[in-house]
Amino acid sequence: GGETSSEDAASAEGEKITLRAATGLSPQHAWWAGGMEPWMERVTELTDGQVEFETFVSGELVAVPDEAEAVENGTVDIALILPIYQPDQFPMAEVTMLPLSHSDTMIASKAWKALLESDVELQDGKTFTELQFDQFKVFPISTTQEYSISTTGKEFASAGDVKGTSLRTPSRIHEMYAKQTELNSITMPAVEMYDALSRGAFDGSFYSIADWTGYGFQDLFKYTVTGINFGHFNSFIGMDEDKFESLPENVQEAMEQATEEYFEDSAQIWMDRSEEVMKTNEEQGGEFVDFATLPQDVQDHFNEGIENTWGDYAKLLEDNGLPGTELVKLWRDLMIEQGGEVPQKVKEM
Amino acid sequence: MDSYLVVGIIIFMMIVFLLMGMYIHAVLLASGIIGLILLEGFSILPGLLGNEPFNRVASYTLTTIPLFVLMAQFILHSGLVQDIFYIVHKLSRGRRSLLGTLTLIIGGMLGAVSGSGTATAASLGQVAVPELRKHGYSGPLAGAIASAGGSLSGIIPPSIILILYGVATETPVGALFIGAFIPGVLVMVTFIIAMLFYYRREAKRSPAAAEVQAEIAAAAEAEAQEEKVPVSRLAVSVLMGVVIVATIFGGIYSGIFTPTEAGAVGSVVGLLTALLLGKVNLSFFKASLTETIKLTGMVMLIMIGAQIFGRFVSLSLLPRKLINLLEPVMDSPALVLLLISAILFIMFMFIEGAAVILMTIPVFLPIITALQVDVLWFGVFISVICTIGLITPPVGLSVYAVSGVTGISSGSIFKIGMGFAVFSMIVVCGLMIAFPELATWLPSVSSGKG
Amino acid sequence: MTTFYKLYGYFGVLKKIGLVISAVVALIMMFFITYDVVMRNVFSSSIRGGFEIIQNYMMPLVVFPGLAYVYASGVLPKMELLFAKFSPPVKRILILLLVAIEIFILILVVQFSWGYAMDGMERNTSFPAAGTLYQLWPVFFTIPVAFALIVVENIFLFIKNLVEKDPTFVVEYNPSEEEQIINQAVK
Ligand code: NA
Ligand code: NA
Repeated sequence: GGETSSEDAASAEGEKITLRAATGLSPQHAWWAGGMEPWMERVTELTDGQVEFETFVSGELVAVPDEAEAVENGTVDIALILPIYQPDQFPMAEVTMLPLSHSDTMIASKAWKALLESDVELQDGKTFTELQFDQFKVFPISTTQEYSISTTGKEFASAGDVKGTSLRTPSRIHEMYAKQTELNSITMPAVEMYDALSRGAFDGSFYSIADWTGYGFQDLFKYTVTGINFGHFNSFIGMDEDKFESLPENVQEAMEQATEEYFEDSAQIWMDRSEEVMKTNEEQGGEFVDFATLPQDVQDHFNEGIENTWGDYAKLLEDNGLPGTELVKLWRDLMIEQGGEVPQKVKEM
Repeated sequence: MDSYLVVGIIIFMMIVFLLMGMYIHAVLLASGIIGLILLEGFSILPGLLGNEPFNRVASYTLTTIPLFVLMAQFILHSGLVQDIFYIVHKLSRGRRSLLGTLTLIIGGMLGAVSGSGTATAASLGQVAVPELRKHGYSGPLAGAIASAGGSLSGIIPPSIILILYGVATETPVGALFIGAFIPGVLVMVTFIIAMLFYYRREAKRSPAAAEVQAEIAAAAEAEAQEEKVPVSRLAVSVLMGVVIVATIFGGIYSGIFTPTEAGAVGSVVGLLTALLLGKVNLSFFKASLTETIKLTGMVMLIMIGAQIFGRFVSLSLLPRKLINLLEPVMDSPALVLLLISAILFIMFMFIEGAAVILMTIPVFLPIITALQVDVLWFGVFISVICTIGLITPPVGLSVYAVSGVTGISSGSIFKIGMGFAVFSMIVVCGLMIAFPELATWLPSVSSGKG
Repeated sequence: MTTFYKLYGYFGVLKKIGLVISAVVALIMMFFITYDVVMRNVFSSSIRGGFEIIQNYMMPLVVFPGLAYVYASGVLPKMELLFAKFSPPVKRILILLLVAIEIFILILVVQFSWGYAMDGMERNTSFPAAGTLYQLWPVFFTIPVAFALIVVENIFLFIKNLVEKDPTFVVEYNPSEEEQIINQAVK
């Protein structure tokens, strides 16, 4: 009853727009709760309720990583897109997963936004976004916090300890890094990880600390190396380009404005969560070890891996006819510009 | 089209299709697709119809369905169940009510190696019912004991119902298995109590008949002495039975493999068992694998249908509307749960268990989440109702299976089975609502989260 | 009707081949996972990309090739309570109607899953495992093929009910032991 009459009233005023929005992630996930949800609320506010969102979370309508496809084929209008999960479709999106010497969520998020908005032509006169996400209207949101290595107890007292440690690897770049550093990589669905880890099926995982709570890892990990950084997972709010173009100008502007307003908050939530999680983990007997305090041979072993992984990734892209070297150099420069650090050899690339 | 109207049309259509005798998967597919067309037009179909069949099937966690079924098939075709029952029969000689109790306990133990209630019930029907009858049990009571014992596979882990629930709700299957342990044992205990009640009543009503039966039993016993199963074979059966259970549970709890991988390892152990018992040949593989592919295909086809139906349910916003509708009673979760259990109990009476779980999760899960009811607890809870539904008329697959192998009419088994079901339902579900820890305590202890 | 049954016989061979593929892949999957478990525990190294290969290649190949056989075997559940009470002519009309609806629905599934497979081929849809990309789209084609075979099965069923008097849900009934038992009990 009520819904229909309000629709009628709105259409009398002009055009009420209801957009179907989706994510496969849970509604508590920082990208939704701290990124896309406030963004949508702000868009509704800025348009005085002209735009409303009908939301579907936790894969109720679209599961991870099918969001991009769902936007393209019109199942939904707008979605939180996680391009790293589809390296076959978005091979260059993984660049943010390259390991670094130092960065944090804010640094990486700003660099990611800058990369998405960059006008540097990488290939055939096309920018990064034109090469990868041409079919989407892209609204940047933050990256995750940096990925760390955490184990359920195994410690790295020597380079020998690192070799043969079995870790879950979340992306192709981590696979490359694992190969470089002789780590054993395990792949496993995230829902099964807690079970398998808690029963000792393998040693640990690459993961971002702020993301632990989604799977209960704050109770599980006992040893985490901080101060070295295994990249940032990225995401953006994506909308079908044609759909965006068909929206009234004021709505388009509201969306752009909401992005600018909420971008930094969407990064801050990761930093806040990470602090909370670290506190809980320490209370449960977890230990955070600074990379710089590890034995020199361990540090060298990890650093060497970082340097080689950059080259490996660039080469992988080049082999597939993509501007790999150009891309990693652009990413390196954007990261450094925002305050990130990379090993010397990467600087010299 | 107005979504209330569409939902109304689709629910009506589903009921008509079901009554007409349409396949369950086709009911789900047809209602889902027609609902989507009415709601959104044909343009929505490519995005949902094209990829859902693949996305639904391509799941590592779902390997448990073919592999646990394969394990059960290997074990059933190895003759292990018959041998174990033979031993139980020997052990309980002379104590008649004990045989019924032991049959139900064996049912529970078989449940620990089998994921499917129907398959276990069929084999219990074959081996247990003749024994029970020889010991003075009436046909219907013996049939009800075998059906109830078989149905326990539905709740005692591993269980296909729990796996499906875990996959559909992203609840770790291992935690569900552990959570189902105490309620599963409770269901078994209530079945035993109900069995003893019916047994006493029968004995009182017709003591003379029981005497006669007992005499026949004694004669049969003497006869059975002749056809002894060699002790060495029995030893292998017992040993392998213990090895299978120990491998699965030991493997999962010690971290050697995940509950998902347990299906594969269990199958290999089942195959080894059959090898040791000398049952492996071409027809063994043919029978086991054909049944496995059939059951897997059946479950997956229903899952695909349920997935598409689920997309329609989501887009119709029905769960949200139901929550709004339930707003006045949402403050008393117990009442809503009572309502949901009643609806599920009725659905499980008529429809096959896995199909009900898959059909109702899209509607009930959001309500459960809104009520802040523990998702793991709810999974165990509905699995209990589902297990009990295997022995209720008119669609009770366990009873059909037993009735088929024994020739005892399903109607007469249902009469007693319904008694088992109602008693167990009231006691176990009541206890679970009053003490949710029955399901949540063990998982919390074993994961160190307590 | 002799030609009909002859044709149906040829079609049966096709379904059997599908069944054999599914069965063999199920066995492979069993050994593959067990091998992986052993390797991980004994040598603490697992098959690289094993989980993705099982999920994306093996599961669809266990399910889809055998699906037409499964469908024709009569194992799929339905509610028979009310149906059993109708007279044969009513049953026949109902079956024809149900089969027609099912054919319509299945053709939609074939059409759109075919479209999805073609689209996948165009995009060269692949999945990452252990650092490499494996082509995924060829597997997509098993789906329209499986459902198309079920459509064919339904066409046979439709013709049979149209021509012959006894209403039936399966063209040729070869129930397994367990099914025979259950079906007997339902009656
Ligand atoms: Na079981
Ligand atoms: Na029932």
